[in-house]
Amino acid sequence: MAGFGIFITLLPLLYVLLRTSQIGYAHLADIIFSARTLELVANSLALTIAVSITSMILGTAQAWLCNRTDLPNKRLFQVGAVLPLAFPSYVLAFSWLAFNPSINGFFGAWLVLSISTAPFVFLAVTAALSRHNSSSEEVARTLGKTQLEVARGITWPAIRPAVLGASLLVSLYTLSDFGAVSLMRYDAFTRAIYNAYRASFDRNTAAALALVLILITLVLVGIQRRISQTEVTKSSEQYRHMVTRLGMWRKPAQLLLVVWFSIGVVIPISSISYWIFVGQSSANSGQVLRALLNTLSYGLVGGIVVSLIGLAIAIIVVRYVSRYIVQVEQSVYLTHALPGVVIALAFVFLVNQSVPALYQTSFLVIIAYIALFLPNALAVLKVPISQVPTGVEEVSRTLGSSPMQTIWRVIVPAARPGILSAGAFVALTVIKELPATLILRPTGIETLATRLWSATSVGSFGAGAPYALLLIIVAGIPALLVNREIKSPRNQSSLEPASNETLNQVKPHIGQTLSRAQAGGTSD
Amino acid sequence: MEPVTEKLILSNVKKSFGQTSVLTNVSFGVTDGSLLTILGASGGGKTTLLRLIAGFETLDAGSIVMNGREVSSSNMSVPPEKRNVGFVPQEAALFPHLSAKKNIGYGLSHLNSKARNDRIAELLDLIGMSELGDSMPDKLSGGQRQRVAIARALAPNPDILLLDEPFAALDAQLRSRLRDDVRAILSKAKATAILVTHDQEEALSIADQVAILRDGTVAQIGSPRSIYSQPIDVELAKFLGDAVVVSGVIQNGKVSTQLGDLIPIVSHAEGLVGQVAIRPENLYLQPDPKGLATVTARQYFGHDALVEVKTAAGIVKARTSGPISPEIGMRVTVWVRGSVNFYATD
Repeated sequence: MAGFGIFITLLPLLYVLLRTSQIGYAHLADIIFSARTLELVANSLALTIAVSITSMILGTAQAWLCNRTDLPNKRLFQVGAVLPLAFPSYVLAFSWLAFNPSINGFFGAWLVLSISTAPFVFLAVTAALSRHNSSSEEVARTLGKTQLEVARGITWPAIRPAVLGASLLVSLYTLSDFGAVSLMRYDAFTRAIYNAYRASFDRNTAAALALVLILITLVLVGIQRRISQTEVTKSSEQYRHMVTRLGMWRKPAQLLLVVWFSIGVVIPISSISYWIFVGQSSANSGQVLRALLNTLSYGLVGGIVVSLIGLAIAIIVVRYVSRYIVQVEQSVYLTHALPGVVIALAFVFLVNQSVPALYQTSFLVIIAYIALFLPNALAVLKVPISQVPTGVEEVSRTLGSSPMQTIWRVIVPAARPGILSAGAFVALTVIKELPATLILRPTGIETLATRLWSATSVGSFGAGAPYALLLIIVAGIPALLVNREIKSPRNQSSLEPASNETLNQVKPHIGQTLSRAQAGGTSD
Repeated sequence: MEPVTEKLILSNVKKSFGQTSVLTNVSFGVTDGSLLTILGASGGGKTTLLRLIAGFETLDAGSIVMNGREVSSSNMSVPPEKRNVGFVPQEAALFPHLSAKKNIGYGLSHLNSKARNDRIAELLDLIGMSELGDSMPDKLSGGQRQRVAIARALAPNPDILLLDEPFAALDAQLRSRLRDDVRAILSKAKATAILVTHDQEEALSIADQVAILRDGTVAQIGSPRSIYSQPIDVELAKFLGDAVVVSGVIQNGKVSTQLGDLIPIVSHAEGLVGQVAIRPENLYLQPDPKGLATVTARQYFGHDALVEVKTAAGIVKARTSGPISPEIGMRVTVWVRGSVNFYATD
């Protein structure tokens, strides 16, 4: 099962490489070095850089203001900063277009993706700040340094890896986003690949463009790997934190947070609510209900299948780790960085060449979900599996259980609460998925996401509003809650501290896990 | 020693991990119903030895025979679940999702529910936790968890119980109390057990037999008393407790040292040069204004005291009774009580 899952995950990458190798160098070079491709590269990079910088600045500022200053109602602002995570990027794009259709193109995509991604930076920096011990800052103050000097010399170096790591995650997210850029009609790579495929079923162009996108992605992944390796891990002791008095900056800081909250949460919600009232008649309640049921079925089946495969891999990786397996696991994460559009198209081409009967079947949709979300599932499932105390397997063996029985009698039941929340998280991620569902679903099957996408594409906001609202209610908000659940290490840790070896095995992945869990995996 | 009563026999066991040789040649036996402690420095292969016996590791050479049946050899290894061993790891490793009762009953799935419940009740009684059977592991104290872990291992009546530093994670006070309890539990259950530890006091106080593991082999095996009083070399003497080492030579059947002429336990050839190791408690300090030794330092423990004395043989440590220990600066004469171990230098 684990092997099957890994195979499925690697399939799209292998396919794109094979496919482009068949095009022939001359033709490939023609496509890659055409003016059109260069324009796409420029567009995608411009958007990626703009979004990364915006969310880096805003997320870091939010994190610092909400954690280390004397700002009133910090808890409230902390919740507010995370709330945009409840909106898939295309739902945000919908809400802003519905608010004012002239907000589109680069500006629209930049706005929406900045809202979507600033929470990643906020969470990563908040975590880094709470890990960082303030006593070094206090010592610096006693040595005659000003607040500003301390912030630059002590605090910033401590949170820098988190800021940069999260910003790179944001750039990966932006690069692979399909929903927001296509609704905003901004010519980024993902939209161009989709259009190349839609317009002419032009496989060569789509595959070549995908290859370029993959290369850019891999460079970013490489940089991110390097940065996250240098991250300093501190002990989890509770530290006292120094609070900065904002003084006259208090009002402007408050204003900044309130304005950003309005842009990221208040306006989207108001816009969706407005269209639900105004455009009530244009949505067919039967259609809405069918789309909801389809969405839930895909979520349920996809969630269960992906989680089971993820569970198998997580158990092997965490409990029976070996060098070889770690490498296989890393390869799963590699595919994770691939945009959903690329993965979906790889499956289209692949199936059409080998088993055409599978094209546009729900089966293929589920297979694509495996490729898309297995890394997420693996990341969140590894946490509960690794929290099962060490040594229990061996005790179980001496008490007469075979390795297989031990997994079913000990590891799975002991990790059950964590496994269930991880499974729920995966199912919710599946529900929000757009590009693969859009491309691979059987004709006539519509989900909340595809309905919203079609309605927004033709500018019928009244028809789209109910789907946007439902997506937030059935997927966005629950995902936010489950994510909190997954991140808080409960009861288990008090039982027995895992031995150092296990901690060391698990540690490098925890950062990854959290960022991935927060990212909700692939963008929409 | 009758071979029939050996519950477990290890013969010439070898084990290495890659280039690192952990066990070079280990042989020993464990008598039915007895408790053997394996004492060795950290990282000396003690845990590997237990894991070989439990079947978690395969050996490179040699054999392990359990209850008359060979369970491990260089080309064969019975899996852990088919060995009938009980295993108590360092951190108890209770199944976190099961109550104390269900933890104990885990290895009893072959019994019907009546028999299983009876056995669980019997074991809860044995460990003195009858009222706590329904508690979840996270509600139990460290000592209670360790007791449940032992009951769980004893439940299926294992041929041999393996305890891997079971008290290491506990604080000192709890450790010594639990040690006594475990001794009582094991002897009441008539269990054959191996306990590994790096703590000399623990190894000596709980065991019927102590095996010292050194350089991948059993350096010495015997009763706690013989191990402590007659270590086979100076290094072991120092490893097992404080020891004053002075050089000497055999003259007229006695060991002539700067602390006087001492009586060796075993007789040696005349003129042999070597060292003697003397336990601090075997040194007696007699207050003597004309004595040649001076008290230079004192660690006072209440019931006794460790006194440093400057003698012609250098600084030596002597254990004295607390209330009558000599003051710093006092002149004393040093006497050695009883016979000593003499180790010829070659």
